[in-house]
Amino acid sequence: MPVYKRTYRNYDGAYVPRFRWWLVVKQEFRVLGKYRIFLALMLVAQLHTLVRFLQILAYDVIMQDPNNILTPLLSQVDFIVVNQRMFYEYVQLQAPLLLVFMLYAGSGMICNDFRNNLMEVYFSKPIRWRDYVAGKLLALILLGLSITALPAVILVVLHNILLPSWELLQASWWWPLSLLAFSLLLVVPCALATLASSALLRSQGFAAVSVFMVLSINSSMGVILARLLYNRDYLLVSFPATLYRLGQELFDVPGYRFQSDWRWSMAFVAVVCVVSLAAIVRTVRRAEIAA
Amino acid sequence: MAVITLDQVEVHYADFHALKGVTLEIGGGTVGLLGPNGAGKSTLMKTLLGFNRASRGTLTMFGMSMPRQALEVRQRLGYMPEREVVSTTVSAVSFLCYCGELFGMNRIDALERTHEVLNYVGLGESRYRKMETYSTGMLQRVKLAQALVHDPELLLLDEPTNGLDPDGRIEMLDVIKEVAARRGVTVILSSHLLPDVQHVCERVIMMKGGMVVRDGKVSDLTASLEAQYELGLREGVDTFQEVLRGKGCAVRVRHDGKLVVTVPEGADERLLFESALGSGHQIRHFARAKHSLEEVFLDALGAKMGV
Repeated sequence: MPVYKRTYRNYDGAYVPRFRWWLVVKQEFRVLGKYRIFLALMLVAQLHTLVRFLQILAYDVIMQDPNNILTPLLSQVDFIVVNQRMFYEYVQLQAPLLLVFMLYAGSGMICNDFRNNLMEVYFSKPIRWRDYVAGKLLALILLGLSITALPAVILVVLHNILLPSWELLQASWWWPLSLLAFSLLLVVPCALATLASSALLRSQGFAAVSVFMVLSINSSMGVILARLLYNRDYLLVSFPATLYRLGQELFDVPGYRFQSDWRWSMAFVAVVCVVSLAAIVRTVRRAEIAA
Repeated sequence: MAVITLDQVEVHYADFHALKGVTLEIGGGTVGLLGPNGAGKSTLMKTLLGFNRASRGTLTMFGMSMPRQALEVRQRLGYMPEREVVSTTVSAVSFLCYCGELFGMNRIDALERTHEVLNYVGLGESRYRKMETYSTGMLQRVKLAQALVHDPELLLLDEPTNGLDPDGRIEMLDVIKEVAARRGVTVILSSHLLPDVQHVCERVIMMKGGMVVRDGKVSDLTASLEAQYELGLREGVDTFQEVLRGKGCAVRVRHDGKLVVTVPEGADERLLFESALGSGHQIRHFARAKHSLEEVFLDALGAKMGV
């Protein structure tokens, strides 16, 4: 094409039918990657992993050596032991940061597209509302897992490498599965609730504050009910307590916060997920199929 | 084969009847959708995109049934929406590249096309700036570029000159005209601005209350009228009107002061000159009268409204 001619060429390449939802996921990561705050949050999230890494090093290398001068000192510290409780606590302690991540990354995902009239543009392309929702949701879930299950599983592998033994392998083979399950239990409802808030409200700030407020009120309600009625089973009402209860079940960690059957907790999580998903689907589907 | 065929298409928004039995066939070229606000233009556009499901009637595009094959159809069309589109977080390059990928292009092709199309619409210099810093005119160009990025066969443009200054408007219309002149590209332009449609389109479809009230080529609709003439006089417009009426002519005065005269059956322009000569009036302008698109439009709306 001559440089003086202002035109565009016909496109003779191929249109490859691909998983459109994966394009949405990639675009979300591209956009998030441009923000320094996001990158800083990512680093902060891995600080805890670094501490746990040092703990594993201390337990697997120093404490296994009886001649090391630090061994008697470290033996006095209970929490240095690397077991399933440590991994449960790792994921549990990541939960508040996970919430911050979800609110930062997810609260604007849908509402900004609505506010900037991008829905019409996206759905005029060969993409369905299902691809759109799946892409947004998957982006948040992957993001959540990247600060919970992924580093935790790497720590489990590291633990097994530093302290290779058949007994340890037998004792810990199921930890990655529990880590993944517990992380998903935390990430999926949180991602769905954040996206639902983003779909229902038209401002990123409102969406983030709404989720935070609902969660705070819900947690307080559980604690207040349990204290007023002198029955810890009312903690079931608190969504975070419910999630931690399920985590304890998954990791076989004793000292349950309340004694209600875990199935009730699971049902609570399922209800939150279904209601959130319904809100997202209803709103986004209407953007593609108006009448 | 017709690009678009609508047969008795009806669309409802809850209780509101937005399209009432629209039957159309669009084979190609540049088609203007004209109508006042609420006429059903945007509803028709959205129905073509598969956003609205017809409650009655059939719609086929490129021989494919809509909305069943909406994805295949959308692969071949580009849509420029009416409302302002802005992606606050990314540059035009990043936004268009993503749009290209959504159409199924690989990233390298999408990026190459993005640069080409942004250059084409005149955003070459500003393409790496964040879109939130763009002016209205620039955002209009981005909207056009995202519709062109995959080289569509059908281009749906909803009020493309909204918010543009006069120069920007002319530039946008010229670009649209250029795109429409490409082989195998059909353009449907929805607007309530008659000059825009007249500038770009070969065919015009006029809508009112969810119905098509007039459909035809612009040249046919604005064709010269057989027994009607435009006259411009030096002076004495009022007295000459009386003279002409006395000879059986129908006369009306246009907004620019010219007379539009319909001569009686069997007579021709000689009657006008003879009358002027006889009454001592001086004719300064003479032409065969034409319908303006505006007149056709108003007539179409009035006719359907029973005015």
